[in-house]
Amino acid sequence: MKKFAVEKNMLLLALGALAVFSIGGIGSTLIPPLVDKSLVTSTSDKPVHQYTEQEQRGIEIYKAEGCVYCHTQQIRDMVSDQKRYGWRLVDAAVSESWEYTQDKYHFLGTKRTGPDLARVGGKYSNQWHWAHFKDPRNMGEKFRSSRGPYESSSVMPSFKYLTDEEIKDLTAYLQTLGRNKNWRVDSNDRPLNDYED
Amino acid sequence: MKKDSAAKLLIYCSLGYLALGMTLGIVTAMKLIWPAIGDFEIMSFGRIRTVHTNMVMFGWLLQADLGLLFFILPRILHTKLFSEKLGMLMAGLLNVALLGGFIGILTGHMKNVEYGELPRPFDILIVVCWVLFAVNVFGTIAQRKVKYLYVTVWYSMGAVIWTTFVYLTGNFVSQLPGIQGVNQANLIWFYVHNAVGLIFTPLGVAAAYYLIPKSLNTPLYSHRLSLVGFWVISFTYVWTGAHHMINGPISYWLQTVAILFSFSLIIPVVAVVTNFFGTFGAAPRQARMAGAVPKLLLMGTIYYLFTCLQGPFQAIRHVNVIVSKTDWVVGHAHMALLGAFSFYAMAGVYYAIPRIIGKKLYSEKLANVHFWLMTLATLPFFGILWLSGVIQGFLWLNPENTFLETLRIMRPYHGIRMWSGALILASVIVFIYNIMETCAGKGGDLESTTT
Ligand code: HEC
Repeated sequence: MKKFAVEKNMLLLALGALAVFSIGGIGSTLIPPLVDKSLVTSTSDKPVHQYTEQEQRGIEIYKAEGCVYCHTQQIRDMVSDQKRYGWRLVDAAVSESWEYTQDKYHFLGTKRTGPDLARVGGKYSNQWHWAHFKDPRNMGEKFRSSRGPYESSSVMPSFKYLTDEEIKDLTAYLQTLGRNKNWRVDSNDRPLNDYED
Repeated sequence: MKKDSAAKLLIYCSLGYLALGMTLGIVTAMKLIWPAIGDFEIMSFGRIRTVHTNMVMFGWLLQADLGLLFFILPRILHTKLFSEKLGMLMAGLLNVALLGGFIGILTGHMKNVEYGELPRPFDILIVVCWVLFAVNVFGTIAQRKVKYLYVTVWYSMGAVIWTTFVYLTGNFVSQLPGIQGVNQANLIWFYVHNAVGLIFTPLGVAAAYYLIPKSLNTPLYSHRLSLVGFWVISFTYVWTGAHHMINGPISYWLQTVAILFSFSLIIPVVAVVTNFFGTFGAAPRQARMAGAVPKLLLMGTIYYLFTCLQGPFQAIRHVNVIVSKTDWVVGHAHMALLGAFSFYAMAGVYYAIPRIIGKKLYSEKLANVHFWLMTLATLPFFGILWLSGVIQGFLWLNPENTFLETLRIMRPYHGIRMWSGALILASVIVFIYNIMETCAGKGGDLESTTT
């Protein structure tokens, strides 16, 4: 069998392997943001939410606790995602890349051990989150009605070791999720921003 | 310094992480059944799961592969390792970096880079180790006594070069100020996918290209196929990162490119696998079945083929709708790293350790027990993950099923996952015990001609 020059020249082989690799290396990392601006700047006329200091602390906690390994943050372009993560009878809007441009850390995720959180902001009250973080399987008297299925099936860890401040920060961050598209409107088409209570 | 000291140290350390990392895997699986287990800060799911993946990938598999290459390269190139001292230094630093990084993750300092969670400064230390590794690899090649470079050498060089860029992009460039959102996600998935494709694949395939012909005492089936495999893989693998975001919030064209390249991966994989099977086919029957080494290599190759056919399949948009984000993904990741490349690495350890220390393997019988137990336990382990993934995927299609209901239905599957995982751990303990007894010299001396 014929042997090629690269097979006896270390430098040639190294350069060849690098060259062939770098075509794809450049093509798949540097080119996309150049071609598609929405990966780096907002291409929407809607403003992208700027995180407050408290919310940024929440983001750090979200990262440190590895929430992303159980929760994705992307409504994919699929009816089932839109319906499942919708609110009352409103379908959740599909996630678009410009919505993430202010995210210092991406949490798109690959695995849904728990539900997607891309549009969770405002679905539950701060008190609900509080009780849920303390113990997802027993949220106490106030949320007794939700007890049964959560008690038997939720596998979310409890985060009772977080301080009260930390839970507040984390909740503040969660309540922003999905805010960039005002996808939930009242009967007069006015955006519902009932996140804060 | 004595020949093979660095290889030996790396392999020994990797075995410790193998046992510990797999145990943490079981703990993670248990938490999905009984979430109250270890429900406190440093044992919280997000942290333990992350230490598990990093420990088995970098503590065990990377470290074992590096050790094996330090054993293999000098033998193919008919020379000594360029510097044992540098190798020992690298092994020491690598373990400092890993231990420090694991503690960092457990105490809440992980990066948001999947498979790259090891925080500063420990990831910098990994880069230092990599430079030391590169010096040793290139140094050894430069002082070789043979003219032509064998396939194993190509893949080793490829791994060194590609990983440098892949690791720097994922762990450093992605964290630069201004790199945010989906753009950051794209860089990180470039890293995640290529960590498997351009670190573990070339290292594992490099080892297999040496171990298969050597342990069967049969020449490689086809030189041409190895050329095709190498050059096509180095061109195509790198493009596939965006297939982690199919139907997601990233440019449609980029998804399509990633899908097409995922398909083209069939070419190099089939080239490599045909080459391996061809070598097996040409070997005398008793060599094929002689002990655990060829069996592990054969089973590893079968798993390699399966994973790599599964990859393109799940990159099809409509299939992706069902299986993405489910347990299926976990099954896929395990089949590559546990199924294919850990099988190769274990074959390598069985092959290298006796030759390094000049003692016979303690027990061929135990090695066979290890192989069969691990094979029979990995089959239901992968199988159940795919099955539950597909079921989950179809359940999610119907919004009437609440998420909690779908979780309840998953419980028996998670049970089988944990128990088959526990059997895998048991088989691995047999493996480690066998190697420890071998090191203690219980198997007797090896005739010196075979080293
Ligand atoms: C072991 C995986 C796991 C981890 C880690 C985890 N969760 Fe969960 N999470 C779940 C599961 C399962 C559910 C669904 C059951 C429930 O609500 O308790 C859930 C539900 C939720 C919900 C309610 C979503 C909805 O739409 O009903 C929120 C909010 C949430 N998790 C936030 C978090 C945050 C924040 C973290 C990190 C601090 C986190 N989770 C970590 C598994 C996890």
